[in-house]
Amino acid sequence: MKKIVLILAVLLCSMAFSASALAENDEVAETSSGKTVRMAGGTPGGADWGYPAPFTFYPRGPGYSRMSLLFDTLTWKDANGVIPALADGWTVSDDGKTWTFYLDGNARWHDGELFTADDVKFTIEYMQDHEGEFTWFESINYIDNVEVIDDYTVVMDLNAPMASFLVDIAGNVPILPEHIWNDVSDPLTFKDAEAVIGTGPLKLVEYDSATSSYQYEANYDYYDGKLLVDEFISMEVADTAAALQTGEIDEVSFWGSEITAVQGFEGNPDFEIISGPSFWVLQVIFNCEKYPNDDVEFRQAIAHGIDRDMIVSQVLNDGGIPANTGIMHPDSIWYNPDCTVYEHNTDTANDILDSLGFMDTDGNGIRNYPAGAQRSGDITFDLYTTSKFSREAELIQADLADIGIEIVVTSSAWGPIDTRLKEGNFDVVISGHGGISNPQIMRIPSWPASTYHSDDYDSIFAAQEVEMNLNTRKELVNQLQEMVADDLPVYTLYHPYMWCVYDPEVLDTWFYTRDGIGIGIPLELNKLIFLARYGDANEDGKINMQDVTKIERMILELDEATDMADANQNYKINMQDVTHIELIILGRAPIRTE
Amino acid sequence: MHQISKLGYYFVIVLIILSINFFLPRVMPGDALSYLTDPGADIPLRMTEEKREILLAYYGLDKPLSEQYINYMVGIIRGDLGWSIYYSAPVLEVILGRLKWTLLLVGTSTAIYITLGILLGAASAWARGRKKDVCLLVSILSISSFPSFFLGILMVIFFGIKLDIFPIGGAQTAFATYSSPLEEIFDILHHLILPAATLVISHIGGTYLLMRNSMLGVLGDDYIMTARAKGLSERYILHRHALANALLPIVTMTAMTVGFLVTGTIFVETVFAYPGIGNLLYNSVSYHDYPLLQGIFLFITIAIVGANLIADMIYVRLDPRVEDV
Repeated sequence: MKKIVLILAVLLCSMAFSASALAENDEVAETSSGKTVRMAGGTPGGADWGYPAPFTFYPRGPGYSRMSLLFDTLTWKDANGVIPALADGWTVSDDGKTWTFYLDGNARWHDGELFTADDVKFTIEYMQDHEGEFTWFESINYIDNVEVIDDYTVVMDLNAPMASFLVDIAGNVPILPEHIWNDVSDPLTFKDAEAVIGTGPLKLVEYDSATSSYQYEANYDYYDGKLLVDEFISMEVADTAAALQTGEIDEVSFWGSEITAVQGFEGNPDFEIISGPSFWVLQVIFNCEKYPNDDVEFRQAIAHGIDRDMIVSQVLNDGGIPANTGIMHPDSIWYNPDCTVYEHNTDTANDILDSLGFMDTDGNGIRNYPAGAQRSGDITFDLYTTSKFSREAELIQADLADIGIEIVVTSSAWGPIDTRLKEGNFDVVISGHGGISNPQIMRIPSWPASTYHSDDYDSIFAAQEVEMNLNTRKELVNQLQEMVADDLPVYTLYHPYMWCVYDPEVLDTWFYTRDGIGIGIPLELNKLIFLARYGDANEDGKINMQDVTKIERMILELDEATDMADANQNYKINMQDVTHIELIILGRAPIRTE
Repeated sequence: MHQISKLGYYFVIVLIILSINFFLPRVMPGDALSYLTDPGADIPLRMTEEKREILLAYYGLDKPLSEQYINYMVGIIRGDLGWSIYYSAPVLEVILGRLKWTLLLVGTSTAIYITLGILLGAASAWARGRKKDVCLLVSILSISSFPSFFLGILMVIFFGIKLDIFPIGGAQTAFATYSSPLEEIFDILHHLILPAATLVISHIGGTYLLMRNSMLGVLGDDYIMTARAKGLSERYILHRHALANALLPIVTMTAMTVGFLVTGTIFVETVFAYPGIGNLLYNSVSYHDYPLLQGIFLFITIAIVGANLIADMIYVRLDPRVEDV
């Protein structure tokens, strides 16, 4: 026994020795007494989102948002919509093709260099040179030409009007420092320390892919507001709810069926909970080119046969809502509340199927194809889905059995299903996607399948893409939603909710961004949470009615709107009416003498 | 001469395995870019065919398979394992970043469970049928039969949350500032104990049983009887005669489990959020990241073949009879 103890002692020593080999960083960092905020980066094995440089983050929402803490865009979004960022203000020509941006004269790169209009021009041209190599920054080729007027004014000419320009390009493309990137020939492999030099409110200190950890520090020279924190850390934890309870982290995000974990924090005075939309939808994709799903009435019968409330309660534990049949999320400004709703009703479904001639002629409980149809025998078809949605598939299988349709569920990895959808080799697939706060998602409603063909639909879609009047564009997007709800290329199932649970003692500014961060990322990690900028307009340390300007009162509809306040004369009073001169008066933009 | 032909034999094996590593991932349905459009993602990236082609060309995946194969082999010889598509980093860098943690976790727990297994197995066999043997047998077999992830969760709940004496996850406190290197070593060890203990407990049963049975067999042999007849002490017989001979199957087993140990820690890595190769392999399979998959397989191949080579060599020393085989 003595020997065992001895051997164990030797082993422990060798453990200590090998651990010391890993403890390579012997320098003692300066101890800061500042405020540190820690968040869980994701689930174990899925908390690493890549080096947060503009071309090396993993092309997912959490990857983009970790990059966006370091790099600013021309515009950004807060809880209410588009706001100025590197651009203090902007104007657009009547034809919607020429955009003029007035840039912030106080912005500096993390290395101290001044930010100017040349950086904006360089960024757009650099992105165009590397078009397609990185999947995130799309539609950059809409820009025909970028012209620098002076150090802080830049004009962009578009090939065609682009209604979503302020969000999809100005609010998405990170502006790069020309003095660093002009020598970089392959941006996808550029991962030097210089690759993370931006103008953003945080600076990167360290990133380790193996341990999925990110360390940021405050950029105290930030041009657009005071920093509320000194350090921000995103890390991997074994159990997010437990780590929040033990104080290892200060904020956790939950999704859909994880509502049960959120309920554990309800009524706990140490934590606050906010909920937000996921801008995500799960849907049944029909093959509209293949019998019998090529008949819209058949698809409508299936829609009546599916009990969406049951799926929401069984699979999501009521952590979501039955979806808008027109795809766009109910919390988005684009939502059309008047889309056709298909009540779950077995009788209605059965009546439709009877009238279409699908009768159970052999009495085995499964309907048969009518004589002389393209297919014969029992109505049986395959439903493909990823293993993630197999519960939903089973519930639908049971629902459709009640109306005499037999479903064979096959679950697999996404790769093979993707191939089937593209080749049109399927009857029904269950799949989902995010981004339903951005009308561009309506381009192909059954994507990645494209079995739904309607010239009307395509022309309405094309019209809304170039429609610069918001209300007219909304009307067009409403029509698209109604067509999807009526024609059912897809039948939407549910939208999950998201929750952010946090310790307000550490940071209490968490919020969900209007229509999502950037192109529609439904996450709570918006860089604005680190800034004392919003709300406290007169910077007296309190947010109260004295911080509300006249124009903000009009936007909030507290005051009567006047024509005089509608600076860009688009018949709406909103943040775009804050003119450059007002920003100069507020001391937020430089005075130019030309 | 024998040594040279043996090395040649291993070389051919490595060559065959490397080729399988190249072709097997490409047989899977889907391709290296399909993860980009996965519906589980928060934002769908809708790729056009032109974009796909640009990307395939960028990663050299548009070239004929034969050319990709030659590039892959040439790359290995030059020590260049390629560029991971998902992680957007050199494959070698991605693997090495995690390998050090896997080696620490797997290395320490393997050393402990094999040593403990051998000693307890020998002690059990020596006391065969007596109370000590029965106690060891029953207790080791019952704790080892817990699945490792279940055991890990129990460890987290009891030691991490209820008693709060160990961290519930990670390999090191994230971005902590240490006053001395010793403090950092202590922090790493503090994080290592629970996952290492989980691996030791769930693996010790096999070694213990094998050693006990092997020892029982040896103890029944004639030469032990002879040694006893010569009047040698029990302790001397156990150490000088029985132990070395009973160890032979353990050497084989250890060599065979090396490959498993690199990848088999995935449950423990997940439960304790411990960085390692297991999760990396899982992710690279789900993302069809061919270069990374090939790189990880290469490391596992080297580990297994190397372990077998070493086992061959140790065998010769432990049992001179196999030299001519």
